[in-house]
Amino acid sequence: MFVTQIKTWLGTLSPDVLTRGLRVAITVVFGLVLVRLLAVVTQRYVMKKSTLQRQMIVRKIISYTGFFLVLMAVLGELGVKLTALLGAAGIVGIAVGFASQTSVSNIISGLFLISEKPFKIGDVIKIGGTTGIIQSIDLLSIKIRTFDNLFVRIPNEKILTSEVTNITRFPIRRMDILFQVDYGQDLARVHGALAAIASANPWSLDEPEPVIMFTEFKESGIEVLLGLWFAKTDFMDLKNSIMKDISARFAADGIRFAHPRRMVRLSPDSPDSPRRRASATTA
Amino acid sequence: MEKTGIAVWNPVEIPQKRCAMWRFPLRSIWVERIETEWHVLSLPETRGNGGASYRIVSRSQKPASSQWRHYLHRDSRAMQPAPVLPDRPVVMRPDRALTLLPGQSTIFFLELPVWFRLSTGGHRPAKVFEEPLSVLSRTWFGDPVNGDLCWGLATRLHHSIESVEPVADRAVCPLMIENDSESDLEFQKICLHVENLSIFRGTRHLWTNSLHAVFKGPDQATQMEIIHTPPGFEEGMVPLSEARLPSTGWNIRRTFGMLKYFTDF
Repeated sequence: MFVTQIKTWLGTLSPDVLTRGLRVAITVVFGLVLVRLLAVVTQRYVMKKSTLQRQMIVRKIISYTGFFLVLMAVLGELGVKLTALLGAAGIVGIAVGFASQTSVSNIISGLFLISEKPFKIGDVIKIGGTTGIIQSIDLLSIKIRTFDNLFVRIPNEKILTSEVTNITRFPIRRMDILFQVDYGQDLARVHGALAAIASANPWSLDEPEPVIMFTEFKESGIEVLLGLWFAKTDFMDLKNSIMKDISARFAADGIRFAHPRRMVRLSPDSPDSPRRRASATTA
Repeated sequence: MEKTGIAVWNPVEIPQKRCAMWRFPLRSIWVERIETEWHVLSLPETRGNGGASYRIVSRSQKPASSQWRHYLHRDSRAMQPAPVLPDRPVVMRPDRALTLLPGQSTIFFLELPVWFRLSTGGHRPAKVFEEPLSVLSRTWFGDPVNGDLCWGLATRLHHSIESVEPVADRAVCPLMIENDSESDLEFQKICLHVENLSIFRGTRHLWTNSLHAVFKGPDQATQMEIIHTPPGFEEGMVPLSEARLPSTGWNIRRTFGMLKYFTDF
């Protein structure tokens, strides 16, 4: 039924229209396949040794340029006068340009980011309050997957003007753990216990050496810094194990953590003593 | 039947309803075969020293544990235990800081810890599992920006093979060094790319390939050469396991950790 309707409709068309339609279809199919093929070949073979980021950008440039050329070819085939169209596009372009300053700013920022290379796909970065793994770096924005599996899109302009921390840039990192021990603890014993904890932990590197420092006399205790170097992939393992190790070792050695406390002392001889005031009232 | 010393690395056949047990100073390995399945358990040992042993025991003696790992392989009659070197470079910290003076040469016998690898299958053996037999620390060789993640090990620099105790869980690596420079060569750390070394079995010891280094000064690139023939310190050397990454050598600048390389950070 449907096929018969199409056949009837095709019969009403002139041979010229049919030929043109066929040429448009061939242009679209072959053009798109060619663009796709060119993008894939360039990415897989020509840019095999380039970074993922460069591969992605080149692929997009090839795809967008290719699609534009196919569109132009199709319009030409349909008899649209391209010179008039391009002239109109110029006027429209000026108008759109004024209206899309933010986008242009993002594109320029994206070009700066691409040339500066502060991070690459797969790096873990922290920008503002967002920490996550970079999934793609595009001309307008970067896309991040956070550790709680949220998709975050950050415009390039914002990245260029913000402080970005690349957490996985270097192969090893130091984890600083700050805590306070009670006044009156034997600091040499605390130092020895921390050195033993660091040495026994399987995720902590023994070179560079762990940092153990008594940093400050605080209100409730002495502040201690334990800095452990680790391979960037071992963050979770080290973090979980070291907290348990410190807690267990301190409990075994009788080393007390400092807790916030306030001591209030009331002298019985003071005229402000509540007991004295109470006895004075009774008398 | 009990085997001791380096005989624990002989191929074995486990009868049905029996267990094989390898006992090393710091780890014991239990293996049980049930038809086409291999059940493997690795447990830490606390005795710390003593020799290695292998024996077949009844299933009733196997430890009850949730840590048993199960592997499936169709061709599971014979089993080949093999010592393999660790999967990362090993940074050896000698027991004493030794300086090789200009124009001098020496040989050291370094003891490298081995891992336990279990393979099965006939002419195309398949690796079933691998387990370190000693506890190694993680360490970094290089500066915080560039370097290698390595295993760290405190070691003794032996000048003679006679002072090296023959054990089944360590392989001896003969390292020949010539200081062909005008400067002292200090041994504070030695980074050995053990993933490039094979293991051979001698009459008393396990051996790795010999290494030969000619040090031409800290600023000149010199290659550490791997001698691919078995070391000639014992008779009848038999290859036991191949290198993880076969290679002809590596750059000596990444081998010796001298103080001046580590004062930059």
